[in-house]
Amino acid sequence: MVHDDYKEMIPARALSALDAAEERALNEHLENCSECRKELEDWQATAAALALAPDPAEPSPQVRERILSEVRKDRTSSPEVIPFRSPSRNVWSSFGSLGAIAAVVLITALIVGVIVLWRQNREAQERLARANEFVELVNTPGARVRELRGIEFAQGATAKLAYDRSGHALLMASKLPPVPQGKAYQLWFIVGNKPPVPGKTFVPDSTGSAVLKDEMPGEAVDANVFAITVEPAGGVNAPTGPIYLRSFEVN
Amino acid sequence: MQPERAQEDDVKLLKAIAARDEAALAQLYDRYRVILFGLLMRILNNREEAEDVLQEVFLQVWRKAEDFDENRGRPFTWLVTLGRSRGIDRLRTLAARDRVAEAGAREAAEEISDAATDAFKSEQRGLVNKALAQLPDEQQRPLMLAYFDGLTQSEIATRLGAPLGTVKTRMRTGLMNLRELLAGKGESFGF
Repeated sequence: MVHDDYKEMIPARALSALDAAEERALNEHLENCSECRKELEDWQATAAALALAPDPAEPSPQVRERILSEVRKDRTSSPEVIPFRSPSRNVWSSFGSLGAIAAVVLITALIVGVIVLWRQNREAQERLARANEFVELVNTPGARVRELRGIEFAQGATAKLAYDRSGHALLMASKLPPVPQGKAYQLWFIVGNKPPVPGKTFVPDSTGSAVLKDEMPGEAVDANVFAITVEPAGGVNAPTGPIYLRSFEVN
Repeated sequence: MQPERAQEDDVKLLKAIAARDEAALAQLYDRYRVILFGLLMRILNNREEAEDVLQEVFLQVWRKAEDFDENRGRPFTWLVTLGRSRGIDRLRTLAARDRVAEAGAREAAEEISDAATDAFKSEQRGLVNKALAQLPDEQQRPLMLAYFDGLTQSEIATRLGAPLGTVKTRMRTGLMNLRELLAGKGESFGF
């Protein structure tokens, strides 16, 4: 595709009406084309005019209250301050045991270092094992791979879901935003207009990566849409939280 | 979508929100609630869901105000794009769960207070609706299905029983015509 082809797609992109493959291609082009980025901003302004078409409506006053109350909670809950513990004994008496303390610190540092290295090695091996499993699954006859992309809160996040006809599924996600305490990501399988079928929950590691092995229920194998929401840590039977990642229609 | 001064005010409000000014958030909410709620009601056709999404939108504004870049667009566009996008996300979740009953008539909107009416640019709404009415139906429908129902071009082609290429052309032409019809309608539209 050439520059003009992409340019033609921009009005539809401003209406977020491009099909998944076209949107992906255009997004890649936009990364390197400031002229098209500017044009997209202009078309978005035009599309935004459509927001004025519906009749204005007044929400109930409780909405305002709820927003402001959440905001206040948000302000008071951060930052968390952990108080220092007051010294329990006379500072002077510590001098005698400084050598012992230094030795303990050194040994502790060594032990921590060894544990960190061992963990990193184990994590790397686990990641490799998962990647192998993913490749194996993809090579299974009839296997499918769907791509999920982050929206809104999770712009930039991506995930690939591979699954076969028997329902073995493996999700590999990256660049996920951290989830709040007590929450987890949950995978959903959506078949047509039926209620979403819940998948497992998962929490990304400190780098925002996650791997999830799941067994899809029979009816979920025909899912045409896959989504990831943020839910209470134990998972729920019907989605309650916002969608962070979703697949787009394959045509 | 609004006169320059109001726009500057909005930029100031967003900057204040980014600096954790709660009163600024309340002010922005008061300024835009009826537009955004009207939009969400149009998308979701359900008062409870629309209020819930409206709340989510403003909480997101609170958390993400610092991401707003005045060099990349107007506050109105940023806010409306955010609101519409959250509305469509919720619509898809609901559609997948068990679509909000479509049969019922649209829920009546409550009467709008004077203050809100003042903030709401009813004149601009009139211009947008007039411009839309001037578009041929074949151009207007793809725009509406994309913007308010969140359908992609392929889905629109299926819905309208029209070839995909035709839908693409009509959508592009429709948006271009809308821009031309709104251009020159005073400084308020800004494009």
